[in-house]
Amino acid sequence: MGLFDMMSISASALTAERQRAEITSANLANAETTHTEEGGPYQRKEVVFSGTSISPFSTVLNRLNRFGQPPAGSVQLTEVVSDPTPPVKRYEPGNPDADKTGMVEYPAINPITEMVDLMSAVRAYQLNASAVNSAKQMIQQSIDILKTS
Amino acid sequence: MSSGPLLNLIQGYLKVATDRQQVIAANMANVDTPGYHTRDINFQAALREAMDNTTGQQLGTASVEVEGLPERPDGNDVNIDRESMLLSQTQLQYQMGVQLIKDQFSTLLTAIKE
Repeated sequence: MGLFDMMSISASALTAERQRAEITSANLANAETTHTEEGGPYQRKEVVFSGTSISPFSTVLNRLNRFGQPPAGSVQLTEVVSDPTPPVKRYEPGNPDADKTGMVEYPAINPITEMVDLMSAVRAYQLNASAVNSAKQMIQQSIDILKTS
Repeated sequence: MSSGPLLNLIQGYLKVATDRQQVIAANMANVDTPGYHTRDINFQAALREAMDNTTGQQLGTASVEVEGLPERPDGNDVNIDRESMLLSQTQLQYQMGVQLIKDQFSTLLTAIKE
């Protein structure tokens, strides 16, 4: 069913973009976190998106064996990776996390980068939400054929 | 039934519109996927194919990569404006097809009732 496939493609993008917004919010929230369970300051996280193949072959294959598999063309968040940028050091001798020289390691997070990333995720979310609406309207219209006369 | 071929034509038209809408949705979904290239369906060629294929066995219409779109540094060339415009356009085309089918049926119904 083309229209329902279209909805699940857009839904996969909604999920991926929401997860991206969550990771970005976590980065913003932990911009000043100097102490984590793993030790050391918080490490900035980044998401990796990857699309499923939409070659004609995989499209047909998907139709034959479609249970539990996302339709061709959908997107997935495959990995959350840590940003290897070294932490920023600030001189705060009174801080309990300070080393012997009085330096405290802070995560290398630039709020502007995160805000731009967040805005981009929200825009992409809106775009795909409008695609879901469009699919909904088309399904509704095809149901309306039955209501003729 | 005289309205048969026309109904078949409109049905093929709706099928192609649905396929194209799905490709556009996939483009929109991959707006942030690095290296993704915009895909599209040639509407007229696909409609002709749907018309010639009278067996009723329809596989998905093949989509092709669109040439000549400017690429971003991450290798992705999805243009949001182009996709939004095509989404609305295809939706209207679909609406037109639905309206035509409804008209066909109401004509038939009139003939029955008169």
